[in-house]
Amino acid sequence: MIQISDDIIIKTLARVLVPFIQLYALYVIMHGHHSPGGGFQGGVILGASLVLLVITHGLKGTQKRISEKSVAIFSSLGVLIYAGIGVLCLVLLGNFLDYSKLAILLSVPLAQARSLGILGVEIGVGLAVMAVMFSIFYNIATGGKQSEEDNN
Amino acid sequence: MDTFFLVIGMGLCILVLLVLYRVVYGPGVFNRVAALSAIGNKTLIILLIMGFVYHRVEMFIDISMVYALLNFIGTIAASKYLEMEGSIL
Repeated sequence: MIQISDDIIIKTLARVLVPFIQLYALYVIMHGHHSPGGGFQGGVILGASLVLLVITHGLKGTQKRISEKSVAIFSSLGVLIYAGIGVLCLVLLGNFLDYSKLAILLSVPLAQARSLGILGVEIGVGLAVMAVMFSIFYNIATGGKQSEEDNN
Repeated sequence: MDTFFLVIGMGLCILVLLVLYRVVYGPGVFNRVAALSAIGNKTLIILLIMGFVYHRVEMFIDISMVYALLNFIGTIAASKYLEMEGSIL
């Protein structure tokens, strides 16, 4: 479906731009608590960088870097991080996602434990959103056929 | 100074409406894609002006950077789709 473009301008531009986009996405995830953004928005920007890679370098070139298997693993890992932090707070006799209970584990003050807990949850959300965004785009681009040989 | 930015922002909103005519009725796909990019650029500036009006420009810079990024990717995707179709228009 998506052929490799032989336009050198677009390819070079994307190759230069993608690392900066991903760095910006990490900034959005990390600074989610005192600027607009957060896990979901950062994950969408990360997914957009992968979509840009697919558009400019083709599906095969992108799959060498991030395969569909690792996308599935990333999406599960993100949900695991989110739910894991929540259940960890349950185990430490708090409510679900009650970050203040994490202070005992991390041996930090209460407020800092809340901040770190929110950061961990947002990293999980970002990973899951990136993987699911890319997975949806991948399935639409291949027409749901799941194997790239059919499309070239 | 706030009034100045407000007036500039309202003027840009009117310009967006003018460009929107080209998106809806424009002959051909290329006019529509170009007009969409123009609307994206104007929206970016309007976001920054809103930041100046609310005195929180450091927040709105983040939003406008994301907006510019997604606009760029959208334009490339649209042109890629045209390339896939094989025929112009």
